[in-house]
Amino acid sequence: MNGAATSEVLLAIASLVLATYLTRAGMLLVCDRLSLSRHVEAALRFAPACALTALVLPEVLGPSGALDLSLGNPRWPAALASAVFLLWRNNMLGGIAIGMGVYLLFSLQSSVFGL
Amino acid sequence: MRRLWNDPAWRAEFDRGAREMLPAFPGILAWGLVTGVAMVKSGLSVKLALLMSLLAYAGSAQLAALPLIAASAPIWVIGLTALATNMRFVIYGAAMRRWLTQYSARRLSLLGYLSGDFSFAMFMNRLEKEGPFQYRDAWLFGVTSMNWLIWQVASIAGIVGGAFIPTNWGLQFAGTLALLPLVMPSVRSWAGASGALAAGSVSLMGSAWPYKSGLLAGVVVGIIVATVVDSFASAGAEARS
Repeated sequence: MNGAATSEVLLAIASLVLATYLTRAGMLLVCDRLSLSRHVEAALRFAPACALTALVLPEVLGPSGALDLSLGNPRWPAALASAVFLLWRNNMLGGIAIGMGVYLLFSLQSSVFGL
Repeated sequence: MRRLWNDPAWRAEFDRGAREMLPAFPGILAWGLVTGVAMVKSGLSVKLALLMSLLAYAGSAQLAALPLIAASAPIWVIGLTALATNMRFVIYGAAMRRWLTQYSARRLSLLGYLSGDFSFAMFMNRLEKEGPFQYRDAWLFGVTSMNWLIWQVASIAGIVGGAFIPTNWGLQFAGTLALLPLVMPSVRSWAGASGALAAGSVSLMGSAWPYKSGLLAGVVVGIIVATVVDSFASAGAEARS
């Protein structure tokens, strides 16, 4: 490693630990001192659906930064196949297996046939 | 902790949580492996990479910090970047806290530190289905410990075997696929589906914004849209009855 000395990396790791702890445990710990309104509490039940879709959709539709619905992007047919399977059977392992299978199939065909 | 561990009811919930986390292992394995490889490829020594993996349990924040560390960026820049990348966990914490108020600060500290995207979504899904169940802390510890264990095994394998593991095979996509089944239950309502769609769209548009702010904006906009659609839907249901 050029540049970064061991002490610098250790400091960086410490700051990562602190940031992780503050964001993940912070809200759980201030619970006595902070009471959210009923509206906010009700709104937060939509947080999982929103957060996960916000994580997943860019990875699937625009892995290179911009919206890519061409067949050169194997991620969207893979995610679609996985989602259709999951609507039918709620089986996480099966969903990952089918998705990765379709992903490999589409990556192979685009690298072989140049689609 | 030992007292809890010896309580059979507590243990049963812990085991159940660990078991329910297990099917996600290919996704977490792939993700951890990629992060491990990225740490050594960025120039960290094996020793420091192991230390970072074991202490800073924060996938996306670690990845964001690596280029900054390699470039010897000032420590406050690294800290702020890690804070910003982790911002969604503040929203998760706000959503979870009302169900965890009875537990001690020490237990919540550990639980919070170990929690992640999976445990949050699984917790809220189970509450939606079963209501406030008993031994929530035990179940959450089961889920998060299993997640931590799989992640560390994969990440350490990535650090040690970094040179032999190809990162251009789309391995990390398995991690994305592992999140899909957790979205499914909540998009069956109009409110959940429209919120998710809005969140995903904003996040996609803002995927190039700095500090994952597009992701955070997506979550906030999605929650607002879902709430508005939900209030229209319940007003419509009242008008019909």
